[in-house]
Amino acid sequence: MSPVIELRDVRKTYPGPVEVLHGIDLTIERDEQVAILGPSGSGKSTLLNLIGILDRPTSGTLVVNGQDTAALTDRRLAGLRAAAIGFVFQQFFLLDYRTALDNVADGLLYTATPLRERRRRAAEVLDRVGLGDRLGHRPAQLSGGERQRVAIARALVGRPALVLADEPTGALDTANGVAVLKLLSELHDDGTTLIVITHDPSVAAAMDREVHIRDGRIHPEPT
Amino acid sequence: MRSSRLAAADLVRVSLLGIGARKLRAALSVLGIAIGIAAIVCVLGISQSSAAGLQHELDRLGTNLLTVQPGQSLTGDQSTLPLSAEQTLTNAPYVQQVSGIAPVSGTVLRNKHIGSIITGGIGIKAARPNLPSVLRGQVAQGVFLNAATGNYPVTVLGAVAAQRLGITTLRPDTAVSLGGKTFTVVGILAPIELAPDIDRSALIGFAEAERAFRIDGSAATIYLRTDPEHVGEAAKTLAAATNPAHPDLVSTSQPSAALSARLAAKKTFNSLFLGLGAVAVLVGAIGIANVMVISVLERRSEIGLRRALGATRRHIAGQFIGESLALALLGGLAGCALGTLVTVGYARYEHWEATIPATALPLGLAGALLIGTIAGLYPAARAARLSPTQALAR
Repeated sequence: MSPVIELRDVRKTYPGPVEVLHGIDLTIERDEQVAILGPSGSGKSTLLNLIGILDRPTSGTLVVNGQDTAALTDRRLAGLRAAAIGFVFQQFFLLDYRTALDNVADGLLYTATPLRERRRRAAEVLDRVGLGDRLGHRPAQLSGGERQRVAIARALVGRPALVLADEPTGALDTANGVAVLKLLSELHDDGTTLIVITHDPSVAAAMDREVHIRDGRIHPEPT
Repeated sequence: MRSSRLAAADLVRVSLLGIGARKLRAALSVLGIAIGIAAIVCVLGISQSSAAGLQHELDRLGTNLLTVQPGQSLTGDQSTLPLSAEQTLTNAPYVQQVSGIAPVSGTVLRNKHIGSIITGGIGIKAARPNLPSVLRGQVAQGVFLNAATGNYPVTVLGAVAAQRLGITTLRPDTAVSLGGKTFTVVGILAPIELAPDIDRSALIGFAEAERAFRIDGSAATIYLRTDPEHVGEAAKTLAAATNPAHPDLVSTSQPSAALSARLAAKKTFNSLFLGLGAVAVLVGAIGIANVMVISVLERRSEIGLRRALGATRRHIAGQFIGESLALALLGGLAGCALGTLVTVGYARYEHWEATIPATALPLGLAGALLIGTIAGLYPAARAARLSPTQALAR
């Protein structure tokens, strides 16, 4: 089986010109649980954007779920995001005018799944993350930990091959952070590849493998 | 590998949700369009209703009524019509009906004990029995003069005259004092639009006027009905027919011309108000565009999130155009409803039949949709141009 993520000599240059990533080689296999660690300004957010195909590399090859992204149109990339990738953000990014159920159901909005089916699956996943009794609540009525669990449910509802979590515990207290990490690791047991971007070594320690990035390069050892 | 897809029903739902989340702002932003569309619908509706009312009145009164009066001589003296004018005019080309009236001097009083100041402004006129028929007037109460009653001291009051004299209901013994003589009131006329003079008169028969007030029997104003197809030709020959020796001493006019002029004047006002309505709609469109631009700025993270969930640029643009369209449509619907309501209310108040041009409502809605699209284009393009990484940036 092909790797979920494969980067070969990937560079990213922003207008300026500033090269943020200087030739990244990284392969992440299916079912792996990887932490990408680095201080702020190291280029890890840029790497997250590339792996999540929210942005394209300036040069090099990026293969996601077996698809060479250079060959895909923007519409296809969006389709790949909808089908294969689930995002979890530090700030949750829940829509405050939607219920927990609809926030999760929106994870399937761009996959042409009928509304009834979207809601059915959303209820199922919310139940799995322990929020079966919070379906009709709006984000403002939920605690920070509960909100992040709603966001995780939204990332999972499409059964993506890859879940990308960007500082998932960054906005939470320790207890809630631990609970969220536990949830993410349970999800890994279901056979989903998990990539967590963090600058917190304790979060990284909970993963199978650590990838250290500094100054736009991958370093074999922590610095 | 499938492309990202968003069902049409979902696009509509997403667009409406965005509005539902900000109800007050949505309501305020549609106000401009609503007022503009309402103004346009009102202008079209009210003017059509009032024009229909006027036209109806014109049709009822006819445009074929002409009046003949003595003109002024070169020296500025008031001339008189020849004694035989009524008879001659009856035989003039295209003339169908003729009815003359003549003023009689004398004051009109409710009775001999009431001062003339209180009942001033009412004149006595000698009239022919066919006067209401020629003027398309109605008798509100009682009867008009006829060949028999014209020989006796009986009178028929114009609407205003009756009101000023305080006569609201006719009784067999109702009488007034005309020039010091007692006349029995046998009828009251309804207001006559084409000859308001008659409204302020007490009408008596020519025969009685000649006997009691010594008038010579010549008419001072002659009303004529002509063949409706030949009003113009008839008008040209009237002066010569009335007074062959001095056609310059005869003046003719067409009372319905004033109504026709009002009909024409309305159209001028219409363009003015339509212009104002269009300005209101334009301001409304700018309001919507403004609200949409702010919405795009505020909802950067939502846009980023949707892109991360798999939305294409087109989906994002569609969502914001959809919102703008929905806002404009709401405004258009509200405007059409408001405009119709005002038109119906005003028409009822004016006793017109409310008519709204068949094209006004669909046109209003189509205009609103067009405006919604145009107002949404720029904000939607901005939202779509936003890269997901920018939109999600902290």
